[in-house]
Amino acid sequence: MDDGLRRHAALALVVAVTCTLVWAAAGAGTFWPAWVWLGAAVTVTAHTGALHVARTAPAARPLAVHAWVSATVTSVVVAVWLVTSPGSRWVLWPVISLGALLSVHAVLQRVPRAASRRELELTDRVAELTRTRRDAVDVQALELRRIERDLHDGAQALLVALSMQLGRAQLAIASHPQAPTLTPVADLVQGARQHADTAIAELRHLVQGIAPPILADRGLVEAVGAVARRAGTPVTVRADVVHRSPPAVEVAAYFIVAEAVTNAVKHARTAHRPLRVDVELTGTHDRLTVRVADDGVGGADPGGGGLAGLAQRVAALDGTFTVGDARDGGTVLEAVLGYGHGR
Amino acid sequence: MRVVLVEDNVLLREGLVALLRDQGVDVLEALGDASRLSSVVRAARAGGGLDAVVLDVRLPPTFSDEGIRAALRLREDFPGVGVLVLSQYVELAYSHELLGGGPGGVGYLLKERVADVAEFVDALERVSTGGTALDREVIAEIVRARGAGAAGPLGQLTAREQEVLALMAEGRSNAAVAARLHVGAGAVEKHVSSIFAKLRLPPATTDHRRVLAVLVHLRATAG
Repeated sequence: MDDGLRRHAALALVVAVTCTLVWAAAGAGTFWPAWVWLGAAVTVTAHTGALHVARTAPAARPLAVHAWVSATVTSVVVAVWLVTSPGSRWVLWPVISLGALLSVHAVLQRVPRAASRRELELTDRVAELTRTRRDAVDVQALELRRIERDLHDGAQALLVALSMQLGRAQLAIASHPQAPTLTPVADLVQGARQHADTAIAELRHLVQGIAPPILADRGLVEAVGAVARRAGTPVTVRADVVHRSPPAVEVAAYFIVAEAVTNAVKHARTAHRPLRVDVELTGTHDRLTVRVADDGVGGADPGGGGLAGLAQRVAALDGTFTVGDARDGGTVLEAVLGYGHGR
Repeated sequence: MRVVLVEDNVLLREGLVALLRDQGVDVLEALGDASRLSSVVRAARAGGGLDAVVLDVRLPPTFSDEGIRAALRLREDFPGVGVLVLSQYVELAYSHELLGGGPGGVGYLLKERVADVAEFVDALERVSTGGTALDREVIAEIVRARGAGAAGPLGQLTAREQEVLALMAEGRSNAAVAARLHVGAGAVEKHVSSIFAKLRLPPATTDHRRVLAVLVHLRATAG
């Protein structure tokens, strides 16, 4: 029982009992304390009702209010009837009317909205598609991370081993007794090693573009720090992130920051002072907010290739993405990325 | 030279061991992870001595940045042992941590640099003797971040001075820079003092301190 209600009930009881004692001491004439008892009972009932209604689900609240009001009014009517004219039957009419009204309300509440089957099916379908699309995005992010690992341990390592062996071959040729006659072979090996090194560099570049290794190895905050380090302009990173986000969210957030910082630097080339960029990452239990603000010239085009690509990334996560001019100049970009659980 | 090797990929580990032994480097142990590294290093030092440890970045059990963490521990516990980290990608965050980890020899190179055997052995020797070996990709990233445009401090340097600066930042001595650019030692010295004057850096005595001065300057001005 609620403490406030308990105090209220105790006070009402004390007042009513005191009045009754006063009535008895004064010679016990007409039983006027009945009205005090009635008043006390009504306030306590209303209080109990209010507490109960507050705990009811919002959808069921109107009916709960109705039920409590009806119950209180009925009790008062019955009490008044008992005290004043227990012989007559007038009391039946208000009680029956209140009961009927409450029944009609309850019946209406129970009848489901006239939703068509089709509408229900579509609602289910949308929920299912939302869930499976999010699953697909999460799986894709995990797959890319796995591909990065596989390349690292497989193709890239093999190419490094190949390059290493070609390097040893070059040394072997150089120290061969007939080295001068082997120049054409040495050139071929040199060419092969160059190709291997180019392939290694290209794979590294590719991996950086789909699943940056530092993101997998150290998480979003460090990876964003790496973006800041490479930016070529002062970038502050403020991160309030309790734990790591799902891979799909981390990857999206990383590329949002990378693209936003690159854009800021690119468009600030004309400005005559160094550009400042502020990056904020705020993670809660169910979403990550990424905010990148610069003090450049503003006027970003949300339809431009880079920003449109980011908007697509965010849309695939059912997030929100806004780009606009800051009040005091510059551009502000904000993305809110939900973790997609608890739907 | 006596070294210990940590590389989890068998192919690369065996390749590295063969390549180093070809060059007369004494590979004391080739480990697959860093769990026993401290005791191996301690034993090697108690035995015939140890010049350097060559480490991969991604190692068991988590395959993330164990190599960097092991390298930082080594630099703290065994300042006399050079630490050369090899990786399939370079991160400025890692080079920053490695260079900040103390005064001993330290290196951070892309794995494929090993194929240029003479260069690799040269880098390993520098690291063994307290010097520095930074991959040219690391330097390029720092310079790119710095913005080598006319407005930046690097814009005051001539193209030749920028080349010398990059080679110097990789950890090379004047003589090595001269050999690399096919110029005389005197010419390099002239470039170096001009670079230090233009960047307003105090003249540094050792190659390692010189590298640090250059990197600190680049990083500081990069913000």
